[in-house]
Amino acid sequence: MITAAALCPSPPLLHPALTGREAVLPELRAACAQAVSWLLRDDPGEIVVVGPAAATAEWDAAGRLGPAAFAPVPGRTDPAFASATESGHPGARLRSLPLSLGLGAMLLDQAGYHGRRRLLATGQDEPASACAGLGASLSPASPSASGQTALLVMGDGSARRSLRAPGYLDPRAAAFDAEVERAVRTGDLGALLRLDQALARDLMATGRPAWQVLAGAMGELAPVAEVLYCGDPFGVAYLVACLQPQGARSS
Amino acid sequence: MSGADGAGEQLDLRLGRRVFRPDQLLVMAIVNRTPDSFYRPGMTWDPAAALERVHTVVAEGADIVDIGGVPARPGDDVDVREEIRRTVPFIAAVRDAYPELVISVDTWRHEVGREACAAGADVLNDSWGGWDARLAEVAAEFGAGIVCSHAGGLPPRTRPFRVAYDDVVQDVLAGTLALAARAVAAGVERERILIDPAHDFGKNTWHSLEVTRRLAELVGTGWPVLVSMSNKDFIGETLDVAVDERLAGTLAATAVSAWLGARVFRAHHVRETRHVLNTVSVIRGDAPPARVVRGLA
Repeated sequence: MITAAALCPSPPLLHPALTGREAVLPELRAACAQAVSWLLRDDPGEIVVVGPAAATAEWDAAGRLGPAAFAPVPGRTDPAFASATESGHPGARLRSLPLSLGLGAMLLDQAGYHGRRRLLATGQDEPASACAGLGASLSPASPSASGQTALLVMGDGSARRSLRAPGYLDPRAAAFDAEVERAVRTGDLGALLRLDQALARDLMATGRPAWQVLAGAMGELAPVAEVLYCGDPFGVAYLVACLQPQGARSS
Repeated sequence: MSGADGAGEQLDLRLGRRVFRPDQLLVMAIVNRTPDSFYRPGMTWDPAAALERVHTVVAEGADIVDIGGVPARPGDDVDVREEIRRTVPFIAAVRDAYPELVISVDTWRHEVGREACAAGADVLNDSWGGWDARLAEVAAEFGAGIVCSHAGGLPPRTRPFRVAYDDVVQDVLAGTLALAARAVAAGVERERILIDPAHDFGKNTWHSLEVTRRLAELVGTGWPVLVSMSNKDFIGETLDVAVDERLAGTLAATAVSAWLGARVFRAHHVRETRHVLNTVSVIRGDAPPARVVRGLA
């Protein structure tokens, strides 16, 4: 069963090697660390990282983000080398994960998690029904000995929230993101399934498919939520939240 | 594909009626005909102020004057007609005042390019990676030059959003060389073609720094390299300084790029850029110092 879920954003600037000397947005990084720490507090049997990517696919659990694609390392043009040194697996040729999964894996590593993990990418153009189905499949029908799965859902709201945003300003962005925040905060995950896919794409809200996987996985459980961060300091909507199914035992 | 002579050697650069040897470092002065460009917005929006600016930059040593009517950043739409209105009469006025001056028009649109060349522009300076495939035809039609740039596939006036490259320099080379080949095929004279990595266009600060660091790989193609770094955000993020505090950083990047072989430098601060380039040329031994008497009296 799904015992808990955490939502985190997935901007590249979450990665400490990508923002230069300054530790950018420490409050956001702290909120993500807090959410992941909460996710791990009861030793779940398995963490499933869900995030948007070009295509729906499961990635190798040993995979890590190769930050060199965003920040070339002087003198080293081989991304595999860069990702190997970044992840601490010297000599291993690791495939670089899609951004959302790579950052999810990074957050788990930063929290010291060594347990079982799965990395699930949801295609950016997957319709709500497919995402919900993928989410439902994460809840095993017959729980095994540990049987407890926690979700780390990576995704962002609109990137068109201001004149200086990467996507410039779209006046529809504020209402769209407010609805997402409301749905998460009130545990009304079914509302996430009703998000307009075309609008989400127009608004560059890359998290839409991952949120819909979450809705499919936890929607029936009427979760209680705590929002740890909700803001758009660079014109992209970031949301950090923890979701606890009602009546779920905490140990 | 290698440069003009097929062997990676830099050749003469022909722009308008001028011929520039490979060792000559050129300043391309920015004169924006916009109310809202990122640096000192509106400074040359008034046509009289803009013409005054041209007089100033020519006196300060500019080899090329680059006239643009649309800012690179997103904003209110500037359609073809408005862009022509902002730039073409002004180009005609500059040509009238300076028959020999090299004039470039900063546009990605072939319609604007055509009117600009008819009014006297010598070079089509496209920063958006050949978004309009017909621009090269216009260059060929008028015997004009063209800048072949890399913008990572971004549509004009859009910002990079989490752009990633396996190797940004390889991507820049592939893109610019393909555009150069397209220009040659369209009939543009080889000696009138430049390549430009277009710092910050479809690139984050790390990518722009990497392109700068590995500029020799672009120079090694043989095509003349133009760099446009003046007051850009990658300088600002390197030093954590606002737009109006980036002169020193810009000049540092200018000196490095000149040393690595770039030949044309698009700049707001013409006098300072001219001094930096002259100093580099003299250090390299390509030109003598201006006046030497100390220790020789």
